Amino acid sequence: MNALMIKGLLFAAILIGATIYVVDSMNIDLSDPINMITMIGAIAIAVLTVGVSIKYINQMKSDTAGGELCEDKWDGIGEYKNELPGGWAYSWLGTVIWAFWYMISGYPVNAFSQIGQYNDEVKAYNVKFEEMHNSADASTLKEMGESIFLVQCAPCHGSTGDGLSGKAHDFTSRMSKIQILDVIAKGSNQLGYPMGAMPKDMATGADAEAIAIYVAGGMKGEQPAAFAACASCHGADGKGMSGMAPNLTVFDETLVGNVVKNGKKGALGKMPAFNDRMTPVQIKALAAYIATLKG
Amino acid sequence: MFHWLEKNPFFFSVGVFIVIAFAGLIEILPNFAEASRPVVGLKPYTVLELAGKEVYKKDNCIACHSQLIRPFKSETDRYGQYSLSGEYAYDRPFLWGSKRTGPDLHRVGNYRTTDWHENHMWEPTDVVPGSIMPAYKHHFTNIADIETAYAEAVTVKNVFATPYGDEFQATKEAWEAHKAVVLAEAKTITADMKNKDVKEAVAAGKIPEIVALIAYLNRLK
Repeated sequence: MNALMIKGLLFAAILIGATIYVVDSMNIDLSDPINMITMIGAIAIAVLTVGVSIKYINQMKSDTAGGELCEDKWDGIGEYKNELPGGWAYSWLGTVIWAFWYMISGYPVNAFSQIGQYNDEVKAYNVKFEEMHNSADASTLKEMGESIFLVQCAPCHGSTGDGLSGKAHDFTSRMSKIQILDVIAKGSNQLGYPMGAMPKDMATGADAEAIAIYVAGGMKGEQPAAFAACASCHGADGKGMSGMAPNLTVFDETLVGNVVKNGKKGALGKMPAFNDRMTPVQIKALAAYIATLKG
Repeated sequence: MFHWLEKNPFFFSVGVFIVIAFAGLIEILPNFAEASRPVVGLKPYTVLELAGKEVYKKDNCIACHSQLIRPFKSETDRYGQYSLSGEYAYDRPFLWGSKRTGPDLHRVGNYRTTDWHENHMWEPTDVVPGSIMPAYKHHFTNIADIETAYAEAVTVKNVFATPYGDEFQATKEAWEAHKAVVLAEAKTITADMKNKDVKEAVAAGKIPEIVALIAYLNRLK
């Protein structure tokens, strides 16, 4: 055993010790096979590096050149004709065969697409999301609804939902007088309720005015007689007969869902449909949040 | 032969170039040919939209807004369906941008409306309180250059065979005839707008930049 060997072993021991120290101090769980294999790999690299270095340093000390030279010389520097090493040649052939397998059946050209990966990810995420939230409690829904509202709705309706002084629908009350008069005069067939289209001019003049004041005021106090025209679809209490027609008193889940799905054009302007941008759970969450905005 | 190549660096370089170029060609060309075709149903920009695109370029919207939605869930949740290369087939040049100081606009037509753009371009903080976007009030008074937009349409039709109809010709008569179509389109935009000056200008046959720009933004879907 010469001095080089001793230095090499010492160096290998230091590397192994350092590896074990790092593994130990980082609290790595070695029962996980990946971690175990990684640590063994690190130690193997240390041992191999030292071993190979020792071999070649010794060889450099004693080896002399021999063998047949090539004909060509470059600036007087020659090159030996070495036989192709067998191990190298077989690995090379193996790589060629592996490359054919890789291209033809392993991972053929076009087997991967970024969009395919995206689709898989979204599908998996949606399944997980629906599972996680299909029985979400009220506060979770409200929180989720708020974040959806801030991203998707706030640019037009304002971050407080007040409609930015008449630029969009104000969620702090159900409808304003102007909006009600507009829909009475023009009718509506936009939201896809089972009751179908609302004809225009169901009420006019003073009757329409009375209805607008009554509904805009939250349907409190005495009901005007003209409201009978509305009650046949929206119900005497204005609650929309359990989802047959829009609820005139609050933003319920059906109403929010239908507006999100179909968009809406009214007295204030046009809202585009957000149909493909929200899942049923998100619409439920949004409705839960909008319900809390009421002034 | 290899010894010969080693002694002739020029031919060696040519050989290396051919090998690498071949690999590049079979990777790039088929995919490129496939992806640069317009997607089904894609229509070329109307003259008004082209004029709006010019405004977009002129006022350098691209410095803060991108037009490219990547296939990541975080992006598609916010901006909608990821972008396909065939959607840009008629964009000359495309306006992908590389900086998002503001949001991506590739599908802004799906979730913003004419009246929103009107409010927003007049004074961004009116609708988005924390916005750092500057106001573009000059769009409401500057008149859009629809003649140049028409010339652009005729040029891309002749040079790149963009499918505009036969009525797109480089003659004064053809332009006069088409001008009515552009004005009619501008009127569908102003119908949803509130600014009186803009409405009057369009009624008088002049199209302010804001109308063209909104037509372009609404088209981005």
